[in-house]
Amino acid sequence: MVNYATAAVDKASVMRGLESKNRVPLGSEIYNRLLETLYDEAAALDERRFDDWVAMLAEDLLYTAPVRLTRNGPNKDRDVMRTMMHFDDNYQSILMRTGRLQKSAWAEDPPSRTRRFVTNVRVAEWENADEYEVSSYFYVERSRFDVAHNETISGERRDIWRLVDGAYKLSRREIILDQSTLGMANLAIFL
Amino acid sequence: MLQKATFTLSDGSTLDDLVMRDTNEVSLRVMNDAELYKLEMERIFAKTWLLLGHETEIPKAGDFIVRDMGEDQVIVTRDRNDEIHVSLNVCPHRGMKVCTAEAGNAHAHRCIYHGWAFRPDGSFIGAPVEKEQMHGNRMKKEELGLKKARVQLYGGLIFATWNINGPSLEEFLGDIKFYLDQLFCRTDSGLEMLGPPQRFVLPCNWKIPGEQSGSDGFHTLTLHRSLMEGGIMGGTPESIYDNAPGMYGVDVSCTQGHSLRCLEAAQTFKMFSDMSFEGKTTEERLNMLPPPGVTKELIPQLFKNLSKEQVEQLATIPPQVGGIFPNILLAFIFAPRTDGGSSGALALHTYVPKGPDKVEFVNFIFAEKDAPEQVKRDMLQNSIQQTGTSGIIEQDDADTWPQIMRNSRGTVSKTVTLKYQALHGHERPEGWYGEGLLYPGFTKDDTQWNWWLAYYDLMAQA
Repeated sequence: MVNYATAAVDKASVMRGLESKNRVPLGSEIYNRLLETLYDEAAALDERRFDDWVAMLAEDLLYTAPVRLTRNGPNKDRDVMRTMMHFDDNYQSILMRTGRLQKSAWAEDPPSRTRRFVTNVRVAEWENADEYEVSSYFYVERSRFDVAHNETISGERRDIWRLVDGAYKLSRREIILDQSTLGMANLAIFL
Repeated sequence: MLQKATFTLSDGSTLDDLVMRDTNEVSLRVMNDAELYKLEMERIFAKTWLLLGHETEIPKAGDFIVRDMGEDQVIVTRDRNDEIHVSLNVCPHRGMKVCTAEAGNAHAHRCIYHGWAFRPDGSFIGAPVEKEQMHGNRMKKEELGLKKARVQLYGGLIFATWNINGPSLEEFLGDIKFYLDQLFCRTDSGLEMLGPPQRFVLPCNWKIPGEQSGSDGFHTLTLHRSLMEGGIMGGTPESIYDNAPGMYGVDVSCTQGHSLRCLEAAQTFKMFSDMSFEGKTTEERLNMLPPPGVTKELIPQLFKNLSKEQVEQLATIPPQVGGIFPNILLAFIFAPRTDGGSSGALALHTYVPKGPDKVEFVNFIFAEKDAPEQVKRDMLQNSIQQTGTSGIIEQDDADTWPQIMRNSRGTVSKTVTLKYQALHGHERPEGWYGEGLLYPGFTKDDTQWNWWLAYYDLMAQA
């Protein structure tokens, strides 16, 4: 598994920056290509081009979103609970989800209108050549039906992207949400 | 015959105008009404037994979790004597939250405002600067503990109520306990919660998911059509309404408003494989298709922990989905995996009211404590993919419920009634295993109507 910053005895973890020390500098070719990839991915999801999105996923994908917990005292930063998740997916189950969205998934029919804002991108070299650790902040505005008030969600994504035949593919994504109690009524959208 | 209800709302309507017992209708206006909500909090949520969590969440002395009983927040703790306590998370000094975390371990809870401190059992330790006696001179220390709820455990589930002298948990569960035992009390070590609950808030009144938890089987065919399309419930998209997979069985219920849907294992089995159940013993059948969440190794324990009738039912027509009044849904379901295998998904939800127009969905996910780690891992993944925040089943519910509430606000719309008129009537199938109100055949409105009758009963008592 990826990005275990601290393995606390009580199975909760602290989230602190990138795992890897070898930074890929902002403005470098690799950084720019990865940033472009994140923008392309956000556009594919906002435009509901799920086939295009799936084409950006590696078949060994792990896609998770652990729950957060409000802690205090000496454990105040150990607030990422990987024993429970909001998403616990792999490539096969993502295909199941995107397949469902093309049939009778009333949760997204009529669909949400979404804007994914991706910022604060940091990149480092990962253990294997051609793999990069990419952390980014995200903020999603989601409009449902004719409701004038948007649902929103924010967090950090800790990814591993792999260069395959000239294109980057997502092999790990851990979504660190900011809320312990989500204000979004469901996660029928991908983050 | 029908007794008169004991409240009148400011527009003159009474409980009988809202829950129409003679015609089996409920006024849509109940789904967003501030006045009614206030009465519900007093007469239901401050009176009846509520589910807060599971003892495996707080295994060690000093462990605590913070949960909600309606809009009253409580601290659920385990003390040094291994006893579980539920205390109001309100400092008796100036009303601050005594505990600001959602979970942790503490042998004293000290309020961060003025420092009054309390033990895990809720009792008052003292205020800082002992010599100045800052808790005053009118009340004794024994009188200054946190307000305590009455606690009872069932199958490791932690229930609490403010109704100190009311019915016991056993009386509250009534005839449904026989069936719940088959889910919660079947193995030596019982269930284990796999992690803290998923929590998320929906813009809808608590009774919309509440009444659905009264075993609304029928909505599955249409709202959860994608389960049929995905092959998860058998059948094909073209034959959904002709074959109605999962709709036939025996719905069980009781006057307390709880219910469960029992579905024939033979039918479930047919969906997974072509093998037949015919001529097989109870033990052989259990081994061919263990109940969701149970592994083959655990099957001997079923015979040890359950009665002959309970095991026979579990092997033949196990309870799978249902609810405990007022706000609990439970699902012990078969879940085919995307990699071709199948295992169970065990999830329990509470729908916690957060105002007349908001409800918090709390999703507790379980596995058998003695199941192998890989089975627990699979079950966690199944439950997350099927239920709760991102679950493909409940995504659809979460988008439906708020729209019902929006409709309940319209001057004309709110005069529409919810109809529970597709009724079967109690009928005991031959050789049936337990007691209760029984509805064999196609799943109908009986159990949900019983949910509303339980609602009526509590709301009629001042």
